[in-house]
Amino acid sequence: MADASEKKPILQFAPFQSVVDEGFWHRLSSLKLNKLGIDDSPVPISGFYAPCSHAQVSNHLTLLSESLPTEASEQAACTSSVSLGNRNKCSVPGTIYNTNTLEGYHALDKQSLLKAEAKKIWDDIHSGKALEDSAALSRFLIISFADLKKWNFYYWFAFPALVLEPAATLVGIKPASQWLSPEEAEYLSAACREWRNSNLTADVPFFLVSIASDSSATIRHLKDWEACKGNGHKLLFGFYDPCHLPHNPGWPLRNYLTLIFIKWNIRRIHFLCYRENRGFADMGLSLVGEALISVPEVWKDLNSVPNAVGWEYNMGKKGSKCVNLAKAMDPTKLAIAAA
Amino acid sequence: MVLSQKLHEAFKGTVERITSHRTVSAFKEKGVLSVTEFIIAGDNLVSKCPTWSWESGEPSKRKPYLPAEKQFLITRNVPCLRRAASVEEEYEAAGGEVLLDNEDNDGWLATHGKPRETKEDEEDNLPSMDSLEIGKKNSIQSIPSYFGGEEDEDIPDMAEYEEPDNLIETDPATLQSTYLVAHEPDDDNILRTRTYDVSITYDKYYQTPRVWLTGYDESRMLLRPELVLEDVSQDHARKTVTIEDHPHLPGKHASVHPCRHGAVMKKIIDVLMSRGVEPEVDKYLFLFLKFVASVIPTIEYDYTMDFDLGSSSR
Repeated sequence: MADASEKKPILQFAPFQSVVDEGFWHRLSSLKLNKLGIDDSPVPISGFYAPCSHAQVSNHLTLLSESLPTEASEQAACTSSVSLGNRNKCSVPGTIYNTNTLEGYHALDKQSLLKAEAKKIWDDIHSGKALEDSAALSRFLIISFADLKKWNFYYWFAFPALVLEPAATLVGIKPASQWLSPEEAEYLSAACREWRNSNLTADVPFFLVSIASDSSATIRHLKDWEACKGNGHKLLFGFYDPCHLPHNPGWPLRNYLTLIFIKWNIRRIHFLCYRENRGFADMGLSLVGEALISVPEVWKDLNSVPNAVGWEYNMGKKGSKCVNLAKAMDPTKLAIAAA
Repeated sequence: MVLSQKLHEAFKGTVERITSHRTVSAFKEKGVLSVTEFIIAGDNLVSKCPTWSWESGEPSKRKPYLPAEKQFLITRNVPCLRRAASVEEEYEAAGGEVLLDNEDNDGWLATHGKPRETKEDEEDNLPSMDSLEIGKKNSIQSIPSYFGGEEDEDIPDMAEYEEPDNLIETDPATLQSTYLVAHEPDDDNILRTRTYDVSITYDKYYQTPRVWLTGYDESRMLLRPELVLEDVSQDHARKTVTIEDHPHLPGKHASVHPCRHGAVMKKIIDVLMSRGVEPEVDKYLFLFLKFVASVIPTIEYDYTMDFDLGSSSR
């Protein structure tokens, strides 16, 4: 096995990208007008993502109108069960900080907000909550200001990632089809298909893959770690990878590595970036990589939350985005368009 | 024009309210679908092409004649790597070449072919310029905000709000390359990859499915519906593709107008039957999406074909 002391490249992760559906801004506006008023306390929301499903584009974290809570009066019972187990919409917890003024928006202390969100992830890892509900590893936040006079929406996403210091190094990464034997690839594809087709697991984005000596593959929940460990099987830490790039894993792997190290003290990690083509497991697009992490022992101290990064890039730079929906929301413009 | 559209909408709405939905199948006779058949065909699409799923949409817009959790079908983040307009140009250029080959044997026509050839040489250089121009226009218009039309003086300039230095995260593990660009065409630096959310609703008036498009630009910001027309075959842009309110989602979206869908589907079904293929109603949406692909040729949504339509589809 390769020696850790020899110079290895740093494992680099492709940042998550956000997409906000128009419906999200419509519902946020009506929530603001009809329910929240000037209350600007943070609101829990859900984002949605799915594994990369096309060799040429990454998937994104998407906000839809159902990302926001409904306005209580609307039937609460009706919407709750609808998106359960939707394979194209894995729900990820997030928080929106919507300010009342543009000044307030710019004055937000972005560093502390990111830190606060990162601490939730850190706590969920230590408490084991992230093993039960793995989507919590990809927790995100969005700050926004909804200018309802001009229908401008300013916003900025962050996908908090706990920083490993020193950074994890990459031993190797290649398509799963090359890393696995043809039989293993076939069994793994079949196991993934089953996982993705079941309502119970389709939207569970982190999982354990164990490959036995007879090439058969089993997929398990993170919480079933005990069943996988020490049985001599090959073990891969799998996750739904939104990224399409051939040599880099996507963002969700970052906090996953931290969890694997903290909970199970593993320093040499084989991971599976699970990707699909047209909705089916694709072992040519999926990647298997091997990462090494070396972390100081102080890291095990619950109270020292590691540094976090993750404010989204907008056109290669850190900065807010803005969308103007006057044409879709301004009553005057709507009236003119309808005349 | 717009008024007549409104009037028609009102008329359609009234008819939809007072008529009960179709219960007898007229799929083979008229190329239309009943509500139940739409659900059957949709279930089959979702099971064969798992990038599609059923959704319930806005609770306030829910149609009582459809199950709450099966109001419409949607597939998100569908890549559209190039503009339909530029594809058509290249297609024409290729067509010109074939013509020239046919004429090649004829000595008399050869001189006639000569100027064509030089003209084509020019064109060889030109198309990339044309597509480049399209690309440029898009990327400039779409970056700060999606509805940045001429008359919108209210578009805020985010440059004023440069973030303070303390937010610059120096993290060696963040991939810094402009990963958006990674799989763009190599011939120039213009980003062309848009993505689309494609949805299929049931149009009760025409008794056919109806396709809706929501576009996102290269930086995944909402695309103005007018710009969506660049991804529609030029035969159809502004004629069969219109911008209207989505029946289940907020906002205006581009849509392939369904007034001819029944007739076209009937024609496709007739062709299949004349070849001895018995079309089944659960395959309706595969045939339908195959036909829609001629309207939006560069939007790579998923539909697998269970049988070959051959050249007759065009």
